[in-house]
Amino acid sequence: MVRALLLSTAALFAQSDVNALLRARCAGCHGAAAPGGLNVLDAASVESNAARIVEAVSAGRMPKGGRALGSTELAVVRDGLAAKMWWSLRPLQAAEKGSIDGFIRAELARKNLAPSPEADRRTLLRRVSFDLHGLPPTPEEVRAFENDRAPDAYARVVDRLLASPRYGERWARHWLDVVHYGESHGYDKDKPRDNAWPYRDWVINALNSDMPYTRFVEQQLASDVLHRDDPRAAPALGFLAAGPWDFVGHQELREGTTDKMQTRLLDRDDIVAQTMSTFVSMTAHCARCHNHKFDPIPQIDYYRLQAVFAGVDRADRPYDDDAAVYARRLSLLERKREAQRKLQPLLDKVEFASSPALIEVDDRIRDARSLITHIGEPKTPADAAEKKTLQGRVERDTVLRKQLVDALVGEATYATIAEGQAEVKWITGEINALPKPLHVYAGTSLFDRIGNFRPALEPRPVHLLGRGSVSSPGDLVEAGALSCLPSVRFERASDEGARRAALARWITAKDNVLTWRSIVNRVWHYHFGAGLVDTPSDFGRMGGKPSHPELLDWLAVWFRDHARGSLKELHRAIVMSAAYKQSSANREDAAKIDADNRLLWRMNRGRLDAESVRDAVLQTSGKLDLTMGGPSVRMFWFKNDHSPIYDYARFDPATPGASRRSIYRFIVRSVADPFMDRLDCPDPSMLAPKRSTTLTAIQALALWNNPFMIRMSTELAERAKTVDAAVELAWQRKPSNTERAFFEHHVSKHGLASLARLLFNTNEFLFVD
Amino acid sequence: MTRRNFLWQYGGGLGGIALAHMSAATHHTPKAKRVVQFFMSGAASQCDSFDYKPMLQKKAGEKWDPGEKVELFQSNPGVVMPCPWEWRQYGQSGKWISGLFPHVATCADDVAFVHSLLSKSNVHGPATFLQSTGFILPGFPSAGSWVSYALGSMNENLPVFVVLPDNRGVPPNGPANWSSGFLPAAHQATSIRVGSANPIHDLFAPEGSFVTASSEMDGLALLEKVNREHLASRTEDSRLDARIKSYEMAARLQLSAPEVLRVDGESDATKKLYGLDDPITEEMGRRCLVARRLLERGVRFVQLWSGADNGFPRRNWDSHEHLAKDHWEMAVAIDKPIAALMKDLKARGLFDDTIVHWTTEFGRMPCSQGSKGRDHNPFGFTNWLAGGGIKGGTSYGATDEWSYKAVDNPCYGYDVHATMLHLLGIDHTRLTYRHNGIDRRLTDVHGNVLREIVA
Repeated sequence: MVRALLLSTAALFAQSDVNALLRARCAGCHGAAAPGGLNVLDAASVESNAARIVEAVSAGRMPKGGRALGSTELAVVRDGLAAKMWWSLRPLQAAEKGSIDGFIRAELARKNLAPSPEADRRTLLRRVSFDLHGLPPTPEEVRAFENDRAPDAYARVVDRLLASPRYGERWARHWLDVVHYGESHGYDKDKPRDNAWPYRDWVINALNSDMPYTRFVEQQLASDVLHRDDPRAAPALGFLAAGPWDFVGHQELREGTTDKMQTRLLDRDDIVAQTMSTFVSMTAHCARCHNHKFDPIPQIDYYRLQAVFAGVDRADRPYDDDAAVYARRLSLLERKREAQRKLQPLLDKVEFASSPALIEVDDRIRDARSLITHIGEPKTPADAAEKKTLQGRVERDTVLRKQLVDALVGEATYATIAEGQAEVKWITGEINALPKPLHVYAGTSLFDRIGNFRPALEPRPVHLLGRGSVSSPGDLVEAGALSCLPSVRFERASDEGARRAALARWITAKDNVLTWRSIVNRVWHYHFGAGLVDTPSDFGRMGGKPSHPELLDWLAVWFRDHARGSLKELHRAIVMSAAYKQSSANREDAAKIDADNRLLWRMNRGRLDAESVRDAVLQTSGKLDLTMGGPSVRMFWFKNDHSPIYDYARFDPATPGASRRSIYRFIVRSVADPFMDRLDCPDPSMLAPKRSTTLTAIQALALWNNPFMIRMSTELAERAKTVDAAVELAWQRKPSNTERAFFEHHVSKHGLASLARLLFNTNEFLFVD
Repeated sequence: MTRRNFLWQYGGGLGGIALAHMSAATHHTPKAKRVVQFFMSGAASQCDSFDYKPMLQKKAGEKWDPGEKVELFQSNPGVVMPCPWEWRQYGQSGKWISGLFPHVATCADDVAFVHSLLSKSNVHGPATFLQSTGFILPGFPSAGSWVSYALGSMNENLPVFVVLPDNRGVPPNGPANWSSGFLPAAHQATSIRVGSANPIHDLFAPEGSFVTASSEMDGLALLEKVNREHLASRTEDSRLDARIKSYEMAARLQLSAPEVLRVDGESDATKKLYGLDDPITEEMGRRCLVARRLLERGVRFVQLWSGADNGFPRRNWDSHEHLAKDHWEMAVAIDKPIAALMKDLKARGLFDDTIVHWTTEFGRMPCSQGSKGRDHNPFGFTNWLAGGGIKGGTSYGATDEWSYKAVDNPCYGYDVHATMLHLLGIDHTRLTYRHNGIDRRLTDVHGNVLREIVA
């Protein structure tokens, strides 16, 4: 880390010179009373604007009016400012040539450390299979690999694994962690989202088809704008709706109330936090109440990002298989939104008509209705009589109410409303005439109002909020991105989609150094159990620093330019490296120098995550159902009550799909699956760039006693029939003679299922060397 | 990795690792060791229980005019609605308490009332999160998980944090109210369904399986042998050893958990005290008695819920329609058991180092909603605390003459959480966990210890 600061001698001079140069050439306009916030006389201001200054002078846009900087001067600015920047904001500095192992070995050599020898074949196959598929290899695959002495044996294994659809299922789960994907709303009234799954399938397919990363980002933020001709891209917008949603706040609270505004603020906050931590590993959400305390993110940047999403809500979004139908649908829906934009203010005149008499009648209606609900099914004749009286009252008051409203609104308004409604009705008819659409729960403004949940017909105004409070609105804010990096043009148009598209372009820009560092580090994290930066979603000052800065930059540039954003190429490069293939065995000498293995003198050992445990148990016992895609499997008993009930204890294991891979589980926010929860499956309401690994008694009980584990133990016994076969299925090796003796003895007393249960609970089953 | 970090990362919760309990690291000398929290789901009314306002009786039925526009959750303000129960003074402190809680009232001199609480939301979900986790968003760790993270276990054979939900169902937000959020899963709550056939998930293998008592014993012994053999060539990896130990602790939990839930051995007098002899109080009485048994065995944090979700027929405190009926049915079932728990803790010498906390997500309006109900009131509501380190017989803060708005010492759940942690020996500003770039706290960036209620 220190070395990263050791720039060339010229650069060392540059650091002192750059201040003088900026003062001489820029202070005229960017001095103490500077426009745009930059003050070159202020060190902190220079630091937080460093990337923008470099970009502006390199592009020749600055200094304005004056002589452009010469090449020596440019070098002074570039090198001098790079040293002032936080590591993650510095320009990518990639060596011309390099390799993963070259960088790893260079760091090891600096500490007089040697790498470890390659792991044995069985260990290696087990490692790479769990890593790329989340499943163990079969005993046959292990034998084949052990006997394959061709020099490209391992390379062919990697090819096979990356070509299998199991790869997308495994790595999609990582992505869903990062974006806190869930299939119910969370909060009170945690309703299920029946149409969330197309997004999950989109992620799986995108990974399996090796979609270039730029496209992968663009589609999730703005496929409706940037990929309109591709209906398969529509479910990508599920990204925007991955997080929790406050049903009561959105659907029940009345328009115009403080709590309604707060609900919307927090909803957008969730989208901003998710987008920025996922794609650029920055904690922009820390700037909601004040300027970011640690990173160069002023409060206004945060609200600019809120404005990017000010036109979307989370709702079911229709799409089609057929491109022509989809295009027609989009244009009709947009036309309908136009019509509603004219109509809605008039409808609001009716909805919000008010007079003392009207308030009184409304109160009466509300009172009677709530008493009717409270009585429910009458239990006594008195209750029944009261209910009837109340119902009569509601009927009379409803008639009265209409008369009062009509008098207030007036006939002319009603006539205009009728015209508008006729237009909407015609468009709706055209839409209904299209083939029946599919739906994805996604970010959208193209939905019909439900209760008090209404679409934004144009982006809602976003104000800078004093201390983040909706009661202290400041100036109106335009959409934008982080000001510490070079900007792109954000349209001022009322079209909210253009804002999202602009943000997508900002993220995927070649010079967005955060994006490229973020994704290669994220992938590295899952392969090695620790990232080169150990905080994959936070590259700010509260996050970690890279253990191998040169490797990180080289890999980022290689991935962007050479691999053209191919994640499969990135996986291949990593798992083919000697660093990845080395043994995880401990070495006392090396542990003394680098106990945490930050320098990767050996491979890290890891415990299987919750999904891998469950999937491995299913595969081992021969029950794994590899059906792909489609609606999620509800592994609970469900009742759609006032607050829906999700009961995992009452799940019938004979339910179709119960043995499918864990990625196809229906993920409820308010009630975690207790089995998965105990294996550290993260709370789906929290962004989870890393999983924790705990080893508790309650986890031991889940693995030892959960009905699923007991059932699968019986299945494994039936499948294996012998001790040797059971051991080989579970451990991918034959038992030793001593082990066999103990196991045979146990089986003779308690049966093979009891041994199967034991095998599923061993560290050898649960850990990957 | 330091030993302490290791413990927090991998264990420390439900018997995660032996010795974790020894490393409880307080910031100052604690006054209390454990917490029992009663959560009134649905919003229990302050002006019908502990916040006495004679104006409500005096102006009953008159137009309510607090002098400003009032924004309510569901309705427009109705007339002033009197409390349906009679108020009386109790104890040396002369505290006014309504007929809704006559038994708790007899403990008035042990209780500190906080009358000036505010909520940041007028909606059940977010407001319940605020009181349980300190945030109005889902995904944050509950107070019990924070206490587990801070102090660890006092009895490695039992969980650190136990939740006893109402047998009618779970509150708004569901079990997310007692989530460990981003804290390691070791700090998860263990939910115990008292009185059900299978009170703890997976404590034993399901009935009717191949598992027998002897296969269980032989299996665990052989598992340990196999795992030790596996460990022999990987001795540096303490996680492998921790997993071996987790099975030993699991076995001990299998013994200790049923024992603690078995209340038959309690004396008749005790059972009667808790109301186990009366069908109305039996359910909560049993949970309170189990709570005492958990607390006396070293469980740090026990959370008991009164009420399920806000559905119909009413099954929690959300009395929009008919407060006199619905609040009464809720209170009469819990009043005696709660008082019994306080008295029993006292008799056993546990009261002085156990914090008793009664809370709810917000209060209710002094005016009527419709003819018989009350709407939400996030502008002023009551919590009370008793026991370890609490100055009994005190009242902190006040609402206006209507019990509408907190006017004297307004405060938030943050302050109650800060006070709770303070009594447990923890400085709430220093109890942090780094998540997604922020050093998170139970109290967010807020919280002041309410010194006036600390003994």
